[in-house]
Amino acid sequence: MKYKLLKVIDTAGLSFLSPVVRLVTGEEPRKQLQDIARFILVPTITFLAFLWLWSVVAPKHKTKAGEVPTPSVVWDAAHGIWRFHDRESAKEQGFLLIGSARESELQRATARLKEVEELETRAQQQLATIRDRSKERFETAVAPAKTAYDRKRDDYRQFRTQQAAELKDEAALLRHSDSATRQEFLTKLRRNAETEEALKAEVDRLKAVYSEAQELTFPEVKQAMRAATLLGEEKQFLTKYLDMLGESSREEKLATAEQRLEDTRSRFLSTTDEDLYKLGTNLLKQEDFLSTTADSRYAKPWTLPKQIVRSLLCVFTGFLIASAIAIPIGILCGLSPTFMAAVTPFIALFKPVSPLVWLPIVMIIVGGFMPDPENHWLVVALSKVPFIKNYGIDPMFISSAITVALCSLWATLVNTALGVGSIDKDHMNVARVLRLNFTSRLFKIIVPTALPLIFAGLRISLGVGWMVLVAAEILSTSEGIGKFVNDMYTNGSSQSFAQMFVVVFIVGFIGMLLDRIMVFLQRLVSFDTAPAL
Amino acid sequence: MRLVSGDTANPKNMNIRSVLLSTAALVGALHADPLAVEKSELKLGFIKLTDCAPIVIAKEKGFFEDEGLQVEVIAQSNWKVLLDNVITGNLDGAHMLSGQPIAATIGIGTEAHVVTPFTMDLNGNGITVSNSIWEQMQENDPSLDVDQPEHPISSESLKPIVEDLLAQGEKLQMGMVFPVSTHNYELRYWLAASGIHPGFYSKTDLAGRTDAEVELSVTPPPQMPATLEAGTISGYCVGEPWNQQAVTKGIGVPVTTNYDIWKNNPEKVFGVTRKWADENPNTLIALTKALIRAGKWLDETEGDQLVHREEACRILSQPNYVGADYEVIKNSMTGTFIFQKSDVRDMPDFNVFFKHDCTYPWYSDGVWFLTQMRRWGQITEAKPASWYHEIAKKVYLPEVYLKAAEALVAEGHLEDAEIPHTEDGYKPATTDFIDGNSFDGHKPIEYLNSFQIGIKDDSSFATK
Repeated sequence: MKYKLLKVIDTAGLSFLSPVVRLVTGEEPRKQLQDIARFILVPTITFLAFLWLWSVVAPKHKTKAGEVPTPSVVWDAAHGIWRFHDRESAKEQGFLLIGSARESELQRATARLKEVEELETRAQQQLATIRDRSKERFETAVAPAKTAYDRKRDDYRQFRTQQAAELKDEAALLRHSDSATRQEFLTKLRRNAETEEALKAEVDRLKAVYSEAQELTFPEVKQAMRAATLLGEEKQFLTKYLDMLGESSREEKLATAEQRLEDTRSRFLSTTDEDLYKLGTNLLKQEDFLSTTADSRYAKPWTLPKQIVRSLLCVFTGFLIASAIAIPIGILCGLSPTFMAAVTPFIALFKPVSPLVWLPIVMIIVGGFMPDPENHWLVVALSKVPFIKNYGIDPMFISSAITVALCSLWATLVNTALGVGSIDKDHMNVARVLRLNFTSRLFKIIVPTALPLIFAGLRISLGVGWMVLVAAEILSTSEGIGKFVNDMYTNGSSQSFAQMFVVVFIVGFIGMLLDRIMVFLQRLVSFDTAPAL
Repeated sequence: MRLVSGDTANPKNMNIRSVLLSTAALVGALHADPLAVEKSELKLGFIKLTDCAPIVIAKEKGFFEDEGLQVEVIAQSNWKVLLDNVITGNLDGAHMLSGQPIAATIGIGTEAHVVTPFTMDLNGNGITVSNSIWEQMQENDPSLDVDQPEHPISSESLKPIVEDLLAQGEKLQMGMVFPVSTHNYELRYWLAASGIHPGFYSKTDLAGRTDAEVELSVTPPPQMPATLEAGTISGYCVGEPWNQQAVTKGIGVPVTTNYDIWKNNPEKVFGVTRKWADENPNTLIALTKALIRAGKWLDETEGDQLVHREEACRILSQPNYVGADYEVIKNSMTGTFIFQKSDVRDMPDFNVFFKHDCTYPWYSDGVWFLTQMRRWGQITEAKPASWYHEIAKKVYLPEVYLKAAEALVAEGHLEDAEIPHTEDGYKPATTDFIDGNSFDGHKPIEYLNSFQIGIKDDSSFATK
């Protein structure tokens, strides 16, 4: 039992857990405690130290464009992202609610809206008071710098005009003077210019002081603003939510449409003085409208959780394409040195190309194949597959996936070639003696032997693909994590940087999970006991 | 549903359903029959700028739904991607720069016949310069060195800076958002009005720098403040919230807005491809109806107060729309504009979405953009006046607008007086420009030849 468990842990690449298992079963407690300290405690401590360092250093680094968020701000941003998702899901469900469930939800939301409205008014008032107060404080703080600057600037201007006038007058008198006097005048001019420059420098210094004083901000204003914003957002959400539950809910809309259809129908059947053609076409239109309303759903915007799933879908699509190309070619390369020689230039040439270069090219090619994407057979076919249909497969998705494939296939290709190339000659000779045909040779000898290396290649490919994907999505604006990053960046809100940090952790975490999965698969197919990194 | 965490019990226990049903019935009575739309699920693209508001509001306030349209509104990363997505059919329609449908139709950049039935807004851009340029401008013109300098500020005080740099063998660098954007033409107009040459485009010079004294380059709007801070450019022309971002963060100073350059100039349009418009005529009318209602909603006033703008800002500040901070969006959208920390002004017409016959697709707007494209050499050959009118009529679709507006009048959402009843679709001649030049949409060649800086065409083209 114990060894079975240990084996599973080891295969899964979670070897840091094995000391715990061993300790529980009482095997060499001292050694196990040491191992636990080394493999669990030390990483935990370093991670905590990192968080601490981050929260200390971050507030000290500020640029005009923003400041580096502290862990708590990032945590807040993560909450914000989740809140947005949650609210949009609520709207989506609210739109479809019917009967008493809708009514009770309506009442609940109305009550909450009332509460929030009161809170918001209060928060706005508070914000206004704090603003007024800080405005006064701001003015008192800035006033001395401003007066000093204004005074000096006026002095400087006055000096300049006055001196210029005086010197001009003097110069007018010099028309008939000798060169010595003129020399003297030149010195005077120079001295004057120097004084002027010194004065100007002083003015500039005071101006800098003044502008720096203007940078003064009050954290309490920011806080009050944030509080008011949170409530304002909730109010906005509740108003819309109530609308989705009430007047705009599907049930309500269907009722209205049915009512009108009924009216028109009875008019159509009984009227004597109306244009029957017009009424009839109207009736048909209304029938259409009713059926579209019956199928309608809330057009929910993309939120991060759904974008993450789409990104994963995209990376696996790309990964599958890459594997489907790389493994066969890799095997051929490993079997035939001639074929290898033929392919090498391509590998060398295309391997280093950046995804940002591939993507536009791929986009044009894919676009060429899909002039009318919505009616293209592939898109139509995919839009009928359950699960996948929710993720709107479009040319951008396909382009991103192909870009992922183009960037990630090389690792698998090279590793496969290496794996196949290093098969023991004796094995091949035995196969020849046994007169195994190519298929048997391939599946009995070549692939099994090369499998560990193939999987090592696949693992690298998946890692590369995941890294490439975010870049590809940013450039192609294909929905996914990359699009999220791009949107948050272009939002330029006070939360943008923090949201980016959230993405760093999400991308990192998912990348780690993918890597672990590949390690697990690799362990399953190999006898290799080297530690998984 | 966890979100609505308030008390579940409503003490009054009123029957909301019946109240709502009766209102719904009342509203329903006003509704005319919905159009038989050819396509009910649509994807519309937009760029994260406050002037995408009509599309966002039409969605959030349910105006699209009233027309039987389920609309997904998708942010695009830049104008090129947006246009390509519309042309390839990934998007049904989009928030576009006024110059984009025209340029696409005549083949500047990507060629495709793009049309517009709806102008989304007027004004809304600003020109921001870096702090150091602003200081030098103040030195050149001491009257600018006060807390609230007099407006409009021309580029006169910028001229010595440009000349100094030229003497050192350098050129002042400025940013705009797209070669055929309003911003490009406005920035050029502002510079040229004081005799600064912003450079010509030509068949071989697609960057538009031939003879330039100031070099303009394309930078995506969201990156403007950062690029300015890095010193790559010394100034830029862009829409909101990117001017207010710069001033609140202390990166630069907005010196002028396009309201001063050309009072009530057309800014963005709603564009679709000709092919799409032909395949979905009723859908296009339905879309236009919803957008007109959104524009009207945005500009609704009580007394002098714009009553819906704060709610609009709240909606726009959602991360899936413009996403900038509510407080930043609020400045320009509610009619105040921060020029400097010490200079906050009321600009009630900074963003116009409905007033001044804003939403109507005027042929004369198209002609103006065409004259600017010719003035700066993007249109490489001289064209007769008739061509200008022909292209404007190819791109702008007032007939669709009027159908939509009349339907809205019938439904009681619009009053007849709110539709511009024009004879020929041209605005009257105006001199509301920073240089006082007069523009009459009927006379493109005369207008082209009235500029000091710019390509001029033989006056015989005026009558061809």
